[in-house]
Amino acid sequence: MARYILKRLVYMVFVFFLLTFILFMLYQMMPANRAYTDARNEIQTMKHLSEEEKATKFDELYLKYQRIYGTDTNNKLVLYLRWLGLYPFYDGHFSGIFEGDFGFSYDYNLPVVKVVPTHMRNSFLIGIITEIAVLGVTIPLGIKCAVKKNSRFDRFTQFFSLIGFSTPSFIIYIIFIVFFCSILHWFPVSGMKTPGANYTGWRNALDVLHHVALPTICLTFGSLASITRICRASMIDALNLDCIRTARAKGLTEKTVIYSHAWRNALIPMVSIIVGGFFNTISGAMILETMFGFKGMGLLFLNATRTADYDMIMFLEVIYTFLGLFSNLVIDLCYGIVDPRVRISK
Amino acid sequence: MEKKKENVFRILARWFVRFFFGLKYEEKWFGKKEKEQKEVVFKNGVPDDSELIVSPGRQILNRFLERKFAVFSVFVVLVMFCIVFIAPHFMTKYYDAFTETTQKDLPPTLSLMSVPKELQDNVKMIDSYGSFSVGLSNDGKVYVWGIGQIGATGINIKEIPEEVQNAKIAYVAAGQDHIIAIGEDGKFYGWGSNRFGQYAVTDAIRENPNLEPVPDAVLNGEIDVNHIKKLTCGYQASAILMDDGTLYIWGNKQSYSNMDNFIGRDNIVDVDFTLNYIVGLNKKQTSVYTGTKGLYAMARSKIKTGTAVKMSEFLKKRKITELRATSTSLCLLLDDGTIALTGDFPNDVVEVPDLAEGEYFVDIEAGTYHYSGLTNLGHVYSFGGDHYRQAEAPQVNGAKKLFAGAFQSYAVDENGKLLNKWGLKGYLFGTDDRGANIAERVIAGGRITMTVGAIAVIIEIVIGVSIGLMAGFLGGWVDIFLMRVAEVFSSIPLYPFMLILSSLLAQVSMTTDQRLYMIMVILGVLGWPGFAYITRAQVLVARESEYVTAAQAMGVKETRIAYKHILPNIISVILVNMTLSFAASMQTETSLSFLGFGVNYPQPSWGNMLSRASNATAAINFWWQWLFTSAILIMTTVCINTIGDTLRDVMDPKSTNDK
Repeated sequence: MARYILKRLVYMVFVFFLLTFILFMLYQMMPANRAYTDARNEIQTMKHLSEEEKATKFDELYLKYQRIYGTDTNNKLVLYLRWLGLYPFYDGHFSGIFEGDFGFSYDYNLPVVKVVPTHMRNSFLIGIITEIAVLGVTIPLGIKCAVKKNSRFDRFTQFFSLIGFSTPSFIIYIIFIVFFCSILHWFPVSGMKTPGANYTGWRNALDVLHHVALPTICLTFGSLASITRICRASMIDALNLDCIRTARAKGLTEKTVIYSHAWRNALIPMVSIIVGGFFNTISGAMILETMFGFKGMGLLFLNATRTADYDMIMFLEVIYTFLGLFSNLVIDLCYGIVDPRVRISK
Repeated sequence: MEKKKENVFRILARWFVRFFFGLKYEEKWFGKKEKEQKEVVFKNGVPDDSELIVSPGRQILNRFLERKFAVFSVFVVLVMFCIVFIAPHFMTKYYDAFTETTQKDLPPTLSLMSVPKELQDNVKMIDSYGSFSVGLSNDGKVYVWGIGQIGATGINIKEIPEEVQNAKIAYVAAGQDHIIAIGEDGKFYGWGSNRFGQYAVTDAIRENPNLEPVPDAVLNGEIDVNHIKKLTCGYQASAILMDDGTLYIWGNKQSYSNMDNFIGRDNIVDVDFTLNYIVGLNKKQTSVYTGTKGLYAMARSKIKTGTAVKMSEFLKKRKITELRATSTSLCLLLDDGTIALTGDFPNDVVEVPDLAEGEYFVDIEAGTYHYSGLTNLGHVYSFGGDHYRQAEAPQVNGAKKLFAGAFQSYAVDENGKLLNKWGLKGYLFGTDDRGANIAERVIAGGRITMTVGAIAVIIEIVIGVSIGLMAGFLGGWVDIFLMRVAEVFSSIPLYPFMLILSSLLAQVSMTTDQRLYMIMVILGVLGWPGFAYITRAQVLVARESEYVTAAQAMGVKETRIAYKHILPNIISVILVNMTLSFAASMQTETSLSFLGFGVNYPQPSWGNMLSRASNATAAINFWWQWLFTSAILIMTTVCINTIGDTLRDVMDPKSTNDK
């Protein structure tokens, strides 16, 4: 097992470099030249210079800024290594993501590492509630449908989960917004708290809860259908296993058969969904956050792409990539925990 | 009736008949289903008689046809495909970037032209603007039809004030968001929006330099109804013209910048409103007066072919008797019964008709883009803008009066009986925020959404299946390498990656079509690992089977084994996943377009048509703008997923037992 984990880790590091390299090259294609912009801004403040002086001074400044930003070369590999922090800048210092320098957000006028945590916390908060709610509903539902396959209850659930599964999530959000905000006026449409209100303590918590409630409900409903379907399908497969027949033949109670024998087997395909879902909560729900103006990771990313805040985009991409790879690793480990066969073979 | 062998077509036809006509007709046309006489009897999808062997394909088909909902889904998806790919060829008037300001945000209705019954035999006058029409009967009663709601203002123009309902009205006219009426006693009425002083005067309106208040003479009912020559309304302005050439004009000066030139004039013979200018006819009747030099100074006799010459050259001593204005052009009726045209016309027009010998125009009426003309023989002709087919006049005899407005025309005989009407009936699914017909955009958008989904899936299959086949069949380090590559691709976060690519592509100048191809390719290239995993797993199973060993023993080439022996056996699994992936690709595309990073306006897609609904106020006020589109989108994906699910069920030999 340890050998396997080590192998996965080495592989993970390799893929991380590969993916960030691809993304970095894409990022290089973006038409942004910060050194040029800064040099031009500075030259415009020097009004006393003549045109010729300006031209020479500009070249000087441009070179200076290029050296500061590390763009004084056209070698893309050097640029990438500098970004990583593995290649020195002109003055010999290292400043890259390995040194903890992820860049500067021009939108927020703050280093990106200072901006992201609050957004990540928001996304995580809403995500984790959703994750718990979704699993709490779908797993019992999926098991019940699988056990009572083709019953009226199962058909009913199947029908609605088919519709839910086929509906793009944003349409579910639209319907919920129209119903709960425009018709019933139960929840505010957007934002994180009542604008202008300075509540403290308990009132504040209630206010935030009131604002976060509908996005959470929407997010929960958006993922109910697909997970119910997967849970049902894997449970049906598990119930068809020979070991279940044996268990029944042994005279075990139906409860033991289902929850102890079948569910353990059904859990194997569910692991990737549960763990993946957990990591997805951190990445944020882009569409939902856009529609509700919810200050999470998704909205942060979307706004960064809209305003071309490149350092922010790159940092978020690094987070996304890392989360994706790390969740794959965790999923593999969980397989090992859930499925004894994996433990032995690897 | 001779017993025919059951085949696929007969079964499908049978289904069709039962679905639409009922069991009675099914038995009548196809004969009773007598189970004993059939060759093979199916029970729960398994042939009862084990002696009879049915090919696997046939068995799958038969079991599929047993599922009513799945067959219905196939039917729905086929119909959707037909509509989406064939109907655009019949929508000759449709183009992506169409906008029409007067038709913005209209709810679904087909009543734009439905003249109330009480009015039909008794028409005195009809006027239309934008989305509603107002009619006046010979006994002075006012009727309003069409769409009464004015945008999201909450004003309903169909709510005729009580005093108007009780009074005897002599003239009515419709503007963009208001209606003006004048009683037989000279009393002045107006309703609708008054934001720009359309009909009532307040202090705020008097003080606003951009608004011209209603003249006191009109407000106080001092004008003599018997000497009114014309009452007409424009975008947010109105005018009353008297027999003696006195003109009363008021409304929004920002809509009509040349209004000052007309205020207080008393030598006007005719007046009308284009979208931006007031146009008038002086007593001299030789040129169009706008107050701006050079405007409408060139005239021609035909829309497409006529060369424009100076007005005085064109007229050659003839006089202009009537002047009618659409949004951008004018039509002048001359004293010899011919017409002159000036101004700009849209691209999609019907040419001015060539009249028969001895026939000449006696009246011309103008809508928003089209003109309708009445001749001395009582025939009607339409010409000009034809986007809504409003310039395709039917054959009418004995018309004495003609009314046109907005996108409709009405021909009326001497007794006021409505003879015929033609033009825009309404919109099945309403219009969007640019005034385009949603029904048409749903069809055109469906074509794009489905094409993107289909091509993306095809790319996924081609890459995924080839790589999966290679990995599974060759094994060894090739397998490891390819699976690692697949893993890299599947760990690329889709939405962030798409967003970056999309904003990158926005910097590169690209035609909309190229952008569409890029979206297909990106969706396909990011989606193939799923197919690769499935194919590889299936190949690993198939490789162990006897027939492959046999083929290998016979010395069949590896590639041949892969494509001829293994591929056909795994095709069913690919088919199922293809169906499910098709729906998934459609969903991804719509979500991206909804966010503004997929298909962009003007190209319609089922996703970007819904983007306005992300605003809660718009979502409730303009419910039709998302409801129909999303209903159709959901219906299509549900049906496609049903087909996929059912295929998986019927192809899985294990599932037979537990049904």
